[in-house]
Order: sequence, then C-alpha cells, then structure tokens
Amino acid sequence: MEHKIKSIIQKLDNGKIQFADARITINDSESFYFDDGFLRGFSNNIESISVGVRIMIKGCWGFAGSDDLSDASIDRMIKTAIDNAESGALFKNEVESFPALPATKAEYIFTPEIDPFKMDKEEKLDYLGKLATAIKPQGKIVYSMLVAVFKREEKFYANSEGSYSHTVYYNTMPLMQVLASDGQQNQSRTWPGDMSGGRAGFERFYHYDFENNTERIIKEATDLLTAPTVSEKKADIIIGGGHLALQLHESVGHATEADRIFGMEISYAGKTFIKPEMLGKFQYGSPVVNIYSDSTDPRGMGFHPLDDEGVPGKRVDIIRQGILKDLQSSRYIAHKLGLAPSSNMKASFADDYPLVRMTNFCLAPGKGSLAELIASTERGYLVDFTKTWSIDDNRNNFQFTTEIGYQIKDGRIVGIVKEPTYYGITQPFWNACDAVCGEEEWKFHGTFSCGKGEPGQSMLLSHGVAPARFRNVDMIVKI
Amino acid sequence: MDFIAYIKDQLKQQPQLMWVIYSSTWSTDFLRFYRSQTNYNISKNNQSLYLELYKDKRNYGFSINDPTQAKIDAALKEALDILDKLPPDPDFVDLEDDLTLAEPREVINTIEQIPLKLKTAILNRIADAVRPYGFEIYGTFVCCHSQYRVINSNHLDKSSVSSPIFLEVKAVHKDSEVTVLENFGGEDLAKFDEQGFTSGLLRKIEHCKNPVVDVEAGEYDVILAPRCVAEFVQYLTWGMSARAYDHHESFFEDKVGVQVFPPHISITDDPTDPDMIRLDYGSDGHIYKPLKLIENGVFKAFMCDHYYHRKTGLPKNGNTGSCLSISPGESSLEEMIKSVQNGLYISSLHYMNFINMKETSITGLTRDGTFLIKDGEIVNVVNSLRFTEKIERILRNVTALENKAHITAFSDNYENFDITSIKAPHALIRNFQISSSTHTI
Repeated sequence: MEHKIKSIIQKLDNGKIQFADARITINDSESFYFDDGFLRGFSNNIESISVGVRIMIKGCWGFAGSDDLSDASIDRMIKTAIDNAESGALFKNEVESFPALPATKAEYIFTPEIDPFKMDKEEKLDYLGKLATAIKPQGKIVYSMLVAVFKREEKFYANSEGSYSHTVYYNTMPLMQVLASDGQQNQSRTWPGDMSGGRAGFERFYHYDFENNTERIIKEATDLLTAPTVSEKKADIIIGGGHLALQLHESVGHATEADRIFGMEISYAGKTFIKPEMLGKFQYGSPVVNIYSDSTDPRGMGFHPLDDEGVPGKRVDIIRQGILKDLQSSRYIAHKLGLAPSSNMKASFADDYPLVRMTNFCLAPGKGSLAELIASTERGYLVDFTKTWSIDDNRNNFQFTTEIGYQIKDGRIVGIVKEPTYYGITQPFWNACDAVCGEEEWKFHGTFSCGKGEPGQSMLLSHGVAPARFRNVDMIVKI
Repeated sequence: MDFIAYIKDQLKQQPQLMWVIYSSTWSTDFLRFYRSQTNYNISKNNQSLYLELYKDKRNYGFSINDPTQAKIDAALKEALDILDKLPPDPDFVDLEDDLTLAEPREVINTIEQIPLKLKTAILNRIADAVRPYGFEIYGTFVCCHSQYRVINSNHLDKSSVSSPIFLEVKAVHKDSEVTVLENFGGEDLAKFDEQGFTSGLLRKIEHCKNPVVDVEAGEYDVILAPRCVAEFVQYLTWGMSARAYDHHESFFEDKVGVQVFPPHISITDDPTDPDMIRLDYGSDGHIYKPLKLIENGVFKAFMCDHYYHRKTGLPKNGNTGSCLSISPGESSLEEMIKSVQNGLYISSLHYMNFINMKETSITGLTRDGTFLIKDGEIVNVVNSLRFTEKIERILRNVTALENKAHITAFSDNYENFDITSIKAPHALIRNFQISSSTHTI
C-alpha cells in the first residue's frame, strides 16, 4: 500500500496542482447486539478499503473518494478531483493557500492487550452472552440491551510535500442498558455511559468491570421509578467524568473548531459564538479551567503522528487558566488567523473529506479525589450518565439531562433523583467551575459517533477529564 | 463478475440455510458552499454487499465493500464456521415473504442531469440576488444515485433505483448573522423553480430589516414552518415503530384506535406522492405502500417489519416513516399570522433530543429565522430560542393548519447519508413552551 499511495501522489505532480494528498484506509469492524438477553445481531465488515484524493487548484479544493483501488479507478478519481476543483473555482471569491510544511515520515502500530479480531469467537460470545443474560428483563426491568463494537483501522497517508504515515489503531465501544417501567413511566440506566469508547481491544470490557455493575444498574433503574425529581431552581452540581466529557465536547470542543468561525459548518453542524478577536482575551472559564487538544497522547482515540493534511500531532493549549488561547484549525484556517495549524484535520475514512475535528480534547486535572470534592460540597447533586443533550447553533445555550443524580447534603450522598436537568450559557457556566478533581480521577472517555460534515462523518475521539464542580447552576425545566 | 449469482450458487450448497443478500451501489456529487463560494466539491462512490445467514434461529451477518470472489469465499467460510456456535434468537421465525413488486418508474440520474458547472451557475445567480441586501449564501447542493437490490431465500428479489436532489441555501447577513432558509428536494431538476426559490429567500430577507430582539421564557402562540412540523412528526413516528412498541418505549402503546390528537391531525406515510422523494420497498424488501398512521386524530397503526410482526403480532406493513405527509387544513398562512397577537414564527429547528421517548418529551432549539409576531404581523427577528416540550402536547395544541402542504427535503447525515422528504403545512400552536434564549442568532 505504501507503493500504491506514493504512486497516487506521483500522478498528481503537475504544475497546476498547489497541494494534494491521498489516503487509503483498511477497516475491520465487528459488532454484537443483544436485547433482552438474546443475540439479535452479530455482524462484521472485514478489510473494507477506501481511497481518497484531495487536490487544491486555483485556491479551491476538489475531492474524490471510492472503495475501488484499481489503477483505472484511481485515474478516474484523480480526473474527477481535478474537475471538481476547477468547477468549484468558478464559484469562488477567496483563493485558499497555506505555507508549506517540512516532509514528515511516521509509523505507529497500536497493539491491544486482547485483539478482538483474533480472540476466539466462542469465548467472546460466551463472555458477552453472560453479561446480556445478567441484565435480562426481571422485576421492573422490561427491556435490556448490550452492545459491543470493535474497530481496527490501518491508514496510509501521503501528500505532495513528501509527508507519509502508516498507522494501525484498535478501538472498542462497550455499552449496556436496562429500562425499568412501572407501567406509567420508564427510567433507564446505562453502564459505563455513552462515552465508553476508547483506544483498546477487548480489554475495554474488563477495564469497565461490567460484571460488577449489572446489579447496580438494575437496582438504580428500578429505584429511579420512585425517586424524586430535583426540587431546587439552582444548585451546585458535580459532573461525573462520562457526562463531563460530553459537556466539554459540546460547549468547548465544538465551539473552538475554527472552521465554524468562517461559517464552513453553518449548513449542518452550526457556527460558534467564538470570534477571532477573543483569542488571548476571552474569559471562557474560571482560572481552574485548563483545556487542551492533544493528538500526541497515545492513550486516546485522537492520537496520530500526522493528521489528515500532513500536520504532525501536537498538544495545543486551547484555554489556559480560563482564558481562550488557541483554536482547533486546518492549515488554511490557521494561516488565515495567523496561528500555527493545530493538527486537527481528520476524516472518518479515506473516501471522506477531512474536516476540523476534535482529537483528544481534554480538561486538565486539578486536585483531590471525587470523595473529597463531594465531602466539600454542602448541598448539591452529583450528576452522571447522559440521557439527553442539546446545544444551540452557536454552542452557547445548552441543556442536559442525566439518567441519575446523587443528592449531596452536608458532604454526603443521601439519595438519588431521576432525570436531573440543568441548563446554562457556555461562558458563565465554565466560569462557575470552582474545582476539578486530580490525576487520580482523570480518565479518557470517548465516542464513536461525533457527527459533522456533509456528507456526514462519524468521528472517533476522546476526552480526558476528571469530575468537576459547578456552582449555582440553573436546574428544573418545565415540561 | 455477477457476485450475487455467485453467492446464490454457493448458498445452494447449504439448503438448510435461510439467507438475505442486500446489494447496493451508491454515488454522490456533493457541493458544499459558504460565504457565497465553494467550500469543497466531493464525488464519491461505493459498492457493497451485506449478507445475513440464518440457521434455525441463529443468525450472522457480514458486509463486503468492493466485493471480489476471494473476499466472498473467505467471508462465507467464516460465517458457516461460526453459525452453529451462536446462541439462538428465540423470537426469529422466518424471513420476509412479501413478493409484491412495485410499479416500474423512470428515474433520472440527477448526477448526470446536474453537472457541477450547472450547480455553480445556479448558486452564482442566487448569491447575486441576495448580495445587495448584505446577505451571503451557505449550504449544500447534492445529487445522489443509488441502486439497491434485496434477495432472500423466500424467492424475494427486488431492485430499486433512486436519484434524489437536495439543495439547501441559508442566506446569512454579513454583520448581524441573521439567517433565512430555503430548501428544495426532489427527483427531477425540472421541478426546481429557481425564480420561486430565490423569491422565497428575498421575501424572508424582507422580514429581517428591524433590529434583533430577545424574548423571555414562557408560553407563546407559535407558527411552525412546514419543516418544523415535519421534524416534530418525524420524531413522533419513532414511537410508532413496532421496535419502540416491543421495547416498551412507545407513547402509542395501547393506543391503536384511540383519539390521541384533535380531529384535524392526519399523518400518512405515503411513498406514492409524485412530489416526494419516493421509495419502492422497505428495508427488508416489503412493498412500500401508503399507511395511515394518524387519521382524524386517531392512532391507526404501528410501522412493522416482518421480524417484529412475528415477535409482537402487530400487522406487517414494511413502512419506515420515510415518506411522511401531514394533511393540510383550511387556513391561509396570512390568516394564521393575523390571528396571533403576541407570538413567534419558527422557521427551523436544531439539535433536538428526547428527554423521555415514551412521554415524547423533547428539547431543542430554533434557528435560521425565528421571528416575533405582534398584532398579526411579523415585526422582528428573535434570537434563537430553546424549547422544552412534549410532541404529543404540541400536536394536541394545534389550532390551525395551513390550507396547503409543502415539501421539505432532509439530508440524513448520521452514519448513512440519505435524502428524504416530508410534506407538511404551516401549523399554529397554542402555548408552546420556550424555556430559554440563546441570546445569539
């Protein structure tokens, strides 16, 4: 494949092409879906190949993608990509360009502890089947499901500047859910929550200790049927890691994607309230809020030695001591803003067009354990396990509901509440953050399904977070 | 090589198996634009096969992209090796057995009909029309072409071709970022009225002259644009699926034949409307026919495929809610606006999610043109607003429907790219719950 991709780049070496890159991805995926304890779906897709060619001519991008790697197909793709760029240039008033980068060569092969594609299928099924059986409908539980998704991606990248990379990654997403009903209402609990994806093999299941959480989610879902709702209009909340990852994702991660500033995502994902003049000045959060994008951390799914336009992986401070310092960008946008490119251009597969994407987007740890944070909270709620999320076009007004809230009184958890909902505006909310737990609570959480772009792409990415406390947050929404 | 014939041949040697083969070829030309210029042009194509094998109550599925004989042989061998070792699904009985074929229809290949140069020429004209008002255009102009075939061991063998067009233009003011929206979807560019499309944008821009205002949280009379009515109904129909019924997540559980909405609410899943992006078959190959979901406010039927028909006993229809049509009422839009003393006109919705699917409680936002109505007239643009509502209550509070229905096309961007359309009128809703403002456009 190295020869193949380099030969594509050689074919693009003509005078009129300003910049070009090409990618080939080979993807394996396997998924298991159990509901009510029974295996309903088991499917795989092995060695799914994609190839994509991106070309800039006259300051305009053209792209072609396919799953056909034959020479004839690649020649057709190159012609199409050139046509697309030239036709696109007929409707163009800004000529895009960016400075050249030195050629970089990189190879990275991730080896999981337990390769899900080599693991004995019966052993895998036996383990998953037992988990699915343990959460089967019982008592007030009327529905249950268990999902396991395993992915392997091998990627080859080359560009007209001479950069080349070859990478292999494994990612796993485990999830189980129970639904309790009393005939009038439903309440659900998941484990380990929606942000369960990570750079790992089958060991991700053991990491999350599924066996010892089946009884817990059954009991909590059942108890939620009779639990009270939040009664205060405002409350202090501690947000658990899994849900905080989503809060960070929606209200800071997407907001600091610089393509949104220029309206490149208006037609689908939306804009941002961030303006270029805010850099270095805007008090995004309180001084305990330190947020960075780090594609050099191999523990997260956002790790890469080179992004999808040849920028070496890097760590960039987005918010330092509460102040907005930098943005996630492409080479063109970074050039336009006078910034260094942040290594955030990614495409889901080789036949997808690269976009500004979160990689490992993290809230830096503060100090202390979760137990200490709860003990220092007079009254409030620990909320976790996302149920509903929604944020506006500018990433300003959000509203989240979690599956469960643990009520805190005088520094102790005294009970649970159902479907706690909180809402707010991004800047005051992050400025109300007065504590972030320390390294001992800091973990990577991740998703397989961050949607952006048209045609839509689902991106795998990670968030490193520790639980954090936010003071005097708006709660209770009339429904 | 005819891969399907090859697979069928291989499967003949396994008479104990039931099987389904899904085959598709898909291509798109996708122009994305911003600030009245090209962002990027994408051409993509792929060919895929998906096979499901069933032995007794055990099943296993696999996909093959860009198939070759070697890939098929390897995947079949692996499948046959694992099949006997899988736990059974006790609810599986058999495969789809509806052999009814759809009426043949001519499908234009819109990728060939609308080359990129034609797309950029149309967009240049629209951009020129809105520029004098300080607006620039953003959006997408997409043509897709797909061929789909489903074959199973019950002698079902059906093919369909689809080639939808999707054009969505957002005109955004360069300074205030006030946005208005126009949308076209269909199967033939000849039905695209460029002048009407541009006039629609300019008419909406006319309403953007006054300063942007904010409104307090509270209950408002609102006029929902057809695309908003369409989206609420689309979300509601998730609870009309047999799957939601089976999972105890349906608002409509125990409500077949029950008056759930006012008598002027009727919703049909209608693939035969020539203005819509049509569908010949459901995902299992069942013929796709009009299905009344809500008739005069009464819930009539769950959308049910073969599997859930066997599992739940609900009547099978193969519908998936892909061609929804909401019946119009008797009011003109002008009459509806005039009837509102202090309310809102909502053009578009954003980022909706269920809070509790069974209760149909939902939160989301307005965008791309939210307007204040005072004393029967649209007077100001309003910042985008958050609502928290129950869809069933929204429909119960419909007091008037426009006397004509409009097509809105939607591009489904999650996982699989798809273009669908919904037909709906404007609707006047009493006491719609605005829960907060975004304080931004």
